[in-house]
Amino acid sequence: MLDLRVPSGVFFALTGAILIVHSMILPGLRAPMTDANVNLYSGVVMLGFGAVLLGLAARSRRA
Amino acid sequence: LHLTPVDYAILILYFAFVIGIGWRLRKSVTSSGEFLTAGHSVPVWITSLAFLAANLGAQEVVGMCASGAKYGIMTSHFYWIGAVPAMLFVGVFMMPFYYGSRARSVPEYLKLRFDEKTRGLNAITFAVMTLFSSGISMYALAKMFNLVLGWNFNSSILLSAAIVLAYTYLGGLTSAIYNEVLQFFLIVLGFSPLAILSVRRAGGWSGIQQRLAPNMTHAWHYLHHANENPMGVEVFGLVAGLGFVLSFGYWCTDFLVIQRAMAANSMSAARRTPLLAAFPKMIMPFIVILPGIAALALTQMGSGYALPPKGNGYDYDQALTTLMAQFYPNGMLGVGLTALMASFMSGMAGNVTAFNTVFTYDIYQSYIHPHASDDHYLRVGRITTVVGVALSIATAYLATQFNDIMDFLQLVFGFVNAPLFATFLLGMFWKRTTGHGAFWGLIAGTLGAAFTWMLTVAEGKGGTIANLHDFPSQMAQNFWIAIIAWSTCMTVTILISLATRPHPETQLRGLVYGLTETPHEQGVSWYRRPVPLALIVAVALIFLNLLFR
Repeated sequence: MLDLRVPSGVFFALTGAILIVHSMILPGLRAPMTDANVNLYSGVVMLGFGAVLLGLAARSRRA
Repeated sequence: LHLTPVDYAILILYFAFVIGIGWRLRKSVTSSGEFLTAGHSVPVWITSLAFLAANLGAQEVVGMCASGAKYGIMTSHFYWIGAVPAMLFVGVFMMPFYYGSRARSVPEYLKLRFDEKTRGLNAITFAVMTLFSSGISMYALAKMFNLVLGWNFNSSILLSAAIVLAYTYLGGLTSAIYNEVLQFFLIVLGFSPLAILSVRRAGGWSGIQQRLAPNMTHAWHYLHHANENPMGVEVFGLVAGLGFVLSFGYWCTDFLVIQRAMAANSMSAARRTPLLAAFPKMIMPFIVILPGIAALALTQMGSGYALPPKGNGYDYDQALTTLMAQFYPNGMLGVGLTALMASFMSGMAGNVTAFNTVFTYDIYQSYIHPHASDDHYLRVGRITTVVGVALSIATAYLATQFNDIMDFLQLVFGFVNAPLFATFLLGMFWKRTTGHGAFWGLIAGTLGAAFTWMLTVAEGKGGTIANLHDFPSQMAQNFWIAIIAWSTCMTVTILISLATRPHPETQLRGLVYGLTETPHEQGVSWYRRPVPLALIVAVALIFLNLLFR
């Protein structure tokens, strides 16, 4: 059976990477009501979440 | 909202993954059991999140954000009173009967416990209800995308339906469940930043409390009388109607969610499924309701954001998307819209997979073509998936007749689910309950719901026969419809059961409390046992209610 952590991990890692790269290409991009770099912060969280899922899947495969 | 290529890239990536998961799982589907019940082989962490995500449809994300803006923190009652206690009850007390009976569906349990006619009645009403729910999800999605993005209404409906059809057709229930988990993660990660940013901009919770009327930021203080709070309900109607009848009627008997738990790979996992799901369920109000409350606070503080006007008030249904437009730049905007799409699709897929199981096993196999080969039922299951999606599209167009999706759903659940909980309560915990009692009790309860609606009026709706009572809100009317439906079903079932012959006890083993062996828990870690898990959730739940009282 497919280990769901693998496709989920890849999806969030890719989405996070897209957001991070986008925030680097357009560093001044902001939403009207916030000064925070939402793309960068959210991208890092998503990339991290994807990495955790992939790490858990890899550990389970080794065990 | 103006989307750029990066937003579309994220949306397309998501579509590729959900269809890819269905494609990858297609080889594991070789029997009707694997297609329709996932072969009882799914790990507990997946069934738990799917149990939650199957309910994360249109009414959850957009509707709850809108309700947050309209009713304030009282909306959290839909979670803390209107969901979590029922989830604990089904995990601790009811799952041993569902899973232990080896029934493939909730209607099939009714057949084993009562008789064929009770199963038939439940199967047909449930099938109709799932189609309506699925259609409403689709309608809400298409309407919102038309309004916000200018996408064509018909194209939006066909696109979302085609994607759900692709992955449910390929991988059946397993595919739907796996995608629901992906969708759950996306919803949490896609909307949490919005909650943080909007609440922070509104001055945090204390800032919101300063700007809004006190009855918008207290969940319990203003429930002595219906006129005191924006929801127009009093404490008895809320606790008995929502907290008991509607909530338990949905979470304890609706096959859409029970099916996720029954797909688990063991009895222990099935019991823990709703209990583990209760943890994230408790937190969901912070993700979906708080932004709505913040939207109203931001509107009143003249921050530059305002809820779109509608008549003399606001168009609350647009709270979520207008907040996204103000707080998400392109990129994250794509994630937010994808999360919205995911929420609609998870709700729709949940309904479609529940519909095809009930239709194939409880209607087709029981009444139309029994004793066929398993390959035949697998084919029927796949065809039913296509038909279910097509009928959902039809009901989506029917839903255009109703303005308030949330109230309409409550009305439907009041007619169908509320009396059903009385049937299950008696069936599982009183061995004297008979098939005749259950059947006529359900009929009487449903008629009680319908007549209550036809004899009372709320916000100009109902009262088609006469107007015997005016409710201050449709919400209050729905809660009381549920209470009356449940009480009628309970009374009629007891009376007819006492007058008819009960099943012999030998036929009720594994189906009724007192005649079913309690699952053994010796040697199982405390955190894997249902009762300690339920106690932890209950303590956290009391804490949350006290915090926002």
